[in-house]
Formats: sequence, C-alpha cells, structure tokens
Amino acid sequence: MVTKEEIMKIAILSKLFVADDEIDKLTKDMGEIISFADTINNAADEGGDFDNINNLSNVLRDDEVVPSFEREKILQNAKDSDSGCFLVKNIMK
Amino acid sequence: MEYELVAGFETHVELATNTKIFCSCTTEFGGEPNTHCCPVCIGLPGTLPKLNKRVVEYAIRAGLATNCEIAEISKMDRKNYCYPDLPKAYQISQYDKPLCEHGYIQLSNGRKIRILRIHIEEDAGKLVHRRGDTLVDYNRGGVPLIEIVTEPDFRSVDEAKEYVEKLQTIMRYIGVSDCKMQEGSMRCDVNISVRPKGSETLGTRTEIKNMNSIAFIAKAMEYEYGRQVDLIESGEKVIQETLRYDDVSNTTSSMRGKEDANDYRYFRDPDLVTINVPRSLVEEIKVSLPELPEAKKERYMNELGLPESDTLLLVKYRKVAEYFEEAAKGTKNPKTAANFIIGQIFRTVETESEKEQFDVGVTAKDLNELIKLLDDGKIKMNLAKSTLDKMLETGKKATELIDESDMGGLDESALKDLCQQAVDNNPKAVKDYLAGKEKAVKAMVGFVMKNSRGKADPALAEQTIIDIIGK
Repeated sequence: MVTKEEIMKIAILSKLFVADDEIDKLTKDMGEIISFADTINNAADEGGDFDNINNLSNVLRDDEVVPSFEREKILQNAKDSDSGCFLVKNIMK
Repeated sequence: MEYELVAGFETHVELATNTKIFCSCTTEFGGEPNTHCCPVCIGLPGTLPKLNKRVVEYAIRAGLATNCEIAEISKMDRKNYCYPDLPKAYQISQYDKPLCEHGYIQLSNGRKIRILRIHIEEDAGKLVHRRGDTLVDYNRGGVPLIEIVTEPDFRSVDEAKEYVEKLQTIMRYIGVSDCKMQEGSMRCDVNISVRPKGSETLGTRTEIKNMNSIAFIAKAMEYEYGRQVDLIESGEKVIQETLRYDDVSNTTSSMRGKEDANDYRYFRDPDLVTINVPRSLVEEIKVSLPELPEAKKERYMNELGLPESDTLLLVKYRKVAEYFEEAAKGTKNPKTAANFIIGQIFRTVETESEKEQFDVGVTAKDLNELIKLLDDGKIKMNLAKSTLDKMLETGKKATELIDESDMGGLDESALKDLCQQAVDNNPKAVKDYLAGKEKAVKAMVGFVMKNSRGKADPALAEQTIIDIIGK
C-alpha cells in the first residue's frame, strides 16, 4: 500500500506542488499503478536471467584517444553558453 | 562521559587512463572548457557508452592491492540525480555488483580497516557558480573513477590520516592513479559519528564531502567530532546530513539533508552489457603487481636490517624504493645507500611531486659505484660524502671526480704530520681545548680533513690531535 506520506515525499523529490485536496486521489491512483506493476511478478519467468537478456558480455574498448569534437559543435544545441561553457540558471541559493 | 569517534571513508580516485570511461575523449587535466568532449560524454540522446577495458583492469589492480575479492560477474547501474554537473541526469556507477569487495588495509597499530567495496563510475563535470547563473564544463565529465568505501572502522583522526596516506601510496605504486589531492584526482568523503566509549551501537552520522588534503581531513574530523560531542552533551540531537568543510573558518556547514539510497532510483544501465571477469585475468593482474610498500617495508627491516624510520622514508615513493634497491645492490651494508639517499640526495628534492618523480642528479648505478669504492676501502666516508655532493652538482661519475691519488687512506706518519700542523696552526683552538672546551678540537680535525682532501679518518685524526696536545 502507498501512504499519503510517501506521496508527499515523492512530490517533494520530483519538485511537484500537490494541493491538499489532491493527496487522497493521488494516493489511490499511485496504489493502483503499483499493484498493476505487481502483476508482472506473477508472470512465469521459468528462472530466466533477466539481468542479461541479450547474452552479451565484455563489450570493451581499448584505451586509445580519439580527438574530441570541436567546441562549437558541442555547444551548438545548448540553450545558452558563455566563455566556452554551457550556461544554466543558478542552482545555488 | 567519555566519547569515541567512529568514522568511515569514501574515497574517489581518478584513474590514470588515457581516455574516459565510456568514450575515447582524453582525460588530460585542464584544457579549455568543453574541448575534451563528444556526444557520449555530454549525454546527447542516441549515443551509446562503451566501457574502457583499462578501467576494469585498473579497478581490479586496486582491489587486489587492497586484499579484495574480485567479482566474477559485475555490471553498471544508473544513479539518478538532477544536477547540471551530470548532463544525463544520472551517473553511471555500480550498485549491487561492484567489481571488488571485502578487502582491508592494515594500519601500523595492527588494526585492519575493512574495505566494503571498490566500484567504478564516471566523474561529473565542473560547475562555476556566478551571480544568477552557472557555467558548466564537461571536460571532467566521464573521467573514470574508482570509489573505495570502508566500513566505519576508524576510531581516531590519526588512523584516518594513516589510511589516506597508505591508500595514496598503494594506488601510486600500482600505477592506477597519481592521487594528487590538490588537483582533485583523490578526494575523500568522511562519515562521522560519536558514541559513549564502550557502546556497540552507532550514533547518528554526518558526512563531510569532498576534502582534498590530509590536513583538512584531520581538522574537519576534529571539528566535527567536537561539534557532535557538544550537541549530545547539551541534550540535543545530531541530525543526519551532508556537510561541507570550510578550511578558512575551520567549521562545517550543512549542504543538504542526507537522502536515502532509494532516492537515487538505482537501476541497471541497459546500454551497458554484463562484465565477466575471468579468473585467468585476475591471476594475470595479480602476477603483474609490483611488490607493495608494506611488503617492501617488512623486507627492508627483516632482510636488509634497516631501521623502521629509514624504511618508511624509502618505501613511500616507488621510484625512491627502486632507486635504493639499485644503489644498494651488491654493497656490504644497505644502510650506507639508505643514509646517502635519506641525507644528501633527499636534500635535492623538495616537493612531493619531485620525490614522486625522483629524477635526481645522480643515477642509482653511479651511487652504487661510489658505495663500492667505499666498501673496497679505496676512499673514506668523508671523501665519499663530498664526492656525492659534487656528483649531484655536476652529474659526473665518482670515478671522474676522484683522482687516483686520492684513493686509499692516509698512512700513519702522514696523518701524524698533518695533525702536528693542525696543532701548530691553531694556537687558539689548542688554548680553548686545554681550557676545557672539548669542541675546539673539531676545528683542528677540520684542518686535517681539508688538507688531506678528505682522505683522513676524522675519528683517528681527533685522537691523534688530542694525543699531541696532551704531550
């Protein structure tokens, strides 16, 4: 079961504002979503190893330097840039 | 009430690979911002990471050198958190299947600091905060790290200091990192709690993040220990939180409340396949490891008969130890080589990085030759010392600096003559000596040494002079 406290904690972590009158509905909805996901646990897995479904391992690369991209290319999709850096809104208070 | 400090370490060590962990960009330190980047390490959609083979090998080296078990099967996980130093909003790390587990490092007081795990992960980018906005440089983003996590086994600040130094020395010996704390290639987080002495339960802990010098670690731990004891004594509670240490004010301050591990929503990175570590690879790496500082220290003490204080100085840097071993090879007493290195040669290397490089003016082979001249009785210690100084200055070999005529000691009559001259030429010293100033005789010994060009035996000269004056 999902509790109201858990919903409030998830809301804070997700930086979402949740009004008091929404909490009950969200708690119920989230409970239903999780119990739906739980039905997967009932599916037969016949002991299969879901950790490595593609049976691949050790796809490794040699430690050899390849030239990096031009900085203009790296920054071309940035919303904003300055002094060769990506520029983002201040994150420190 | 008496309290006890309980601490654990998480140490990030930057691996000395050429390329990043998941792409082929250089890991070189510095460089103009965002010039060591590609679509993989700036997290563009549609790119795929590919693991650097050397990162796996280096992590295994580190694990073996710290007595860890090496996993047969390992994998990469995503650690989700939203902060602009991570372009993907997750860091690729390892969660429940780290490469190395259950190791330890032994301290000089006999206690073992247990290593819980060593895992591999990518470093984050660098942020520069300005008024109103933040600049992001991803050159460091994707540089490979190992994170070495200990159990809360530290009981004193001294233990913590010794551990960090030992770890640094080991990582340098095995060549996986330069561990330059001031450049950030080795950084420590410390978990600290206090409890009444004798208690078995752990107190609430705080975590001090990202410290980059051993002196700061010690000061921060002392401060935080005092702060927690004060809180408990005054009936308040320690709050579990992440702290930052400010070395200027020597205080800690809150960064953020400690999040639960679950909040990172770890899950397997589906872009990266399983890592299988064949036992043959582990054996191969084990064989390739150099003799580690601890083993060297034991050998120098037990087999070469060096005092502990000397061995500690010699084994701290691998190049110094190798230099010593070559210089002492085939000589009568290894202590001679140790003395020359710790005395005269160490005076020419000042900084840590100079000691690390140990690129000194005299090769180990040339020092070895000098010591053999001494062993064979061809020169006396005084001449050897002054010759070594000249060798350090000029880079010449001992045989180029010492004349054939200087070889061999001074015969008895020549020594007597010189001592007589010393007495005749230093009336004041003689007077002082006779007045009870025993040190005055040294001036006359100096005269003999100078005029014999270092060939005289100073102890014998001193006795001869005393005999002459006494007559």
